Amino acid sequence: MTEINDLARIITGCKGGDDKCFAQIIDMYASRCYGYFYRLTGNNDISDELLSELFVKLVEKIGSYKGGSFESWLFRIASNIFHDHLRDKQRRKKLLKSQVAEFESGTIEPKQSDGELTDKLQIQLGKLDGDTRELIMLRFYSQLSFKEIAQIRTEPIGTTLAKTHRALQKLREYMEG
Amino acid sequence: MDDRNHENLRELFEKFFDAEQAESCVENIRKAEQFFRDHPAPEPDDMLIANIKAEIAMRLQGSRAHRIRRIIYEVVGAAAVIIFVAAVSLQLFLKQDTPQNGDYIQASIIPTEIWEGDDITIDDDNLAVFTAQIEQIEEEVIALQSGKETGNGDSTLTELEMELIEINSDFWKG
Repeated sequence: MTEINDLARIITGCKGGDDKCFAQIIDMYASRCYGYFYRLTGNNDISDELLSELFVKLVEKIGSYKGGSFESWLFRIASNIFHDHLRDKQRRKKLLKSQVAEFESGTIEPKQSDGELTDKLQIQLGKLDGDTRELIMLRFYSQLSFKEIAQIRTEPIGTTLAKTHRALQKLREYMEG
Repeated sequence: MDDRNHENLRELFEKFFDAEQAESCVENIRKAEQFFRDHPAPEPDDMLIANIKAEIAMRLQGSRAHRIRRIIYEVVGAAAVIIFVAAVSLQLFLKQDTPQNGDYIQASIIPTEIWEGDDITIDDDNLAVFTAQIEQIEEEVIALQSGKETGNGDSTLTELEMELIEINSDFWKG
């Protein structure tokens, strides 16, 4: 209850333009949001950019937050930013005809950047299609209920549960196989 | 199994799947959570977080300055409009109080005294003279009738008749 009250107080401060309150929000959510972006893109540099974009958007849009689950609202923005990034990437790929085949596959291959090691989970997640992967990321990084996830994805909760069931079954097979 | 959001997953999945499938779903979620715990995603760099905070602080400062500037512009603009409206209103008000030359050119073709009064002789001297003479004759006739006049009454009446004929002919001559 105290946490909820604290969050409400911090959000009120953010709406008033208090940069310290924004700093608190960043401390609270940066790790989870970064994990969400990293697991979707498999790239540290892109995750850095998307995380920065997310919090800048948060400053711009905080006035439109009218209550309800803040995490749901925040991850909806995060999801939109990721989709914008995908669209931008696809546009660029269209220009580079040499990469048409990779674009048509519609998957994001995990990439190593700056010598980073890609973990096993990242590799197996890369085998899932983009939509399913995003669903799983929303589930495990946003900590939202399935009902909230279904709302973000604007689909019936039954569809969300069925997709989750299939995706996790596959992931389990990949990880244990 | 209760979810982080106090969602009873078994109950939730059983609404859409049979008991065996629901059990399998819950087991898969538990297993996936274990995978994510065992393979944590990298944490964002401290420098990145510091940069984001600095950028946000800078943007907020910029937007505060912009907001203050906008308020000043709005206040100055509103004051200018008020002053302009007040000045125009005052000028119109003063104009109403002290009519200037030429303001009533059309209305002054007919003098106000004639327009508003019953005395039609006011703008015509000849008419005034005739009216005065007629009034004088009327008074004399009344005096004769009342017997105030002394002397020869017949000659007086004849004189009056002559005067009337003269006035009448003068009037028609213009």
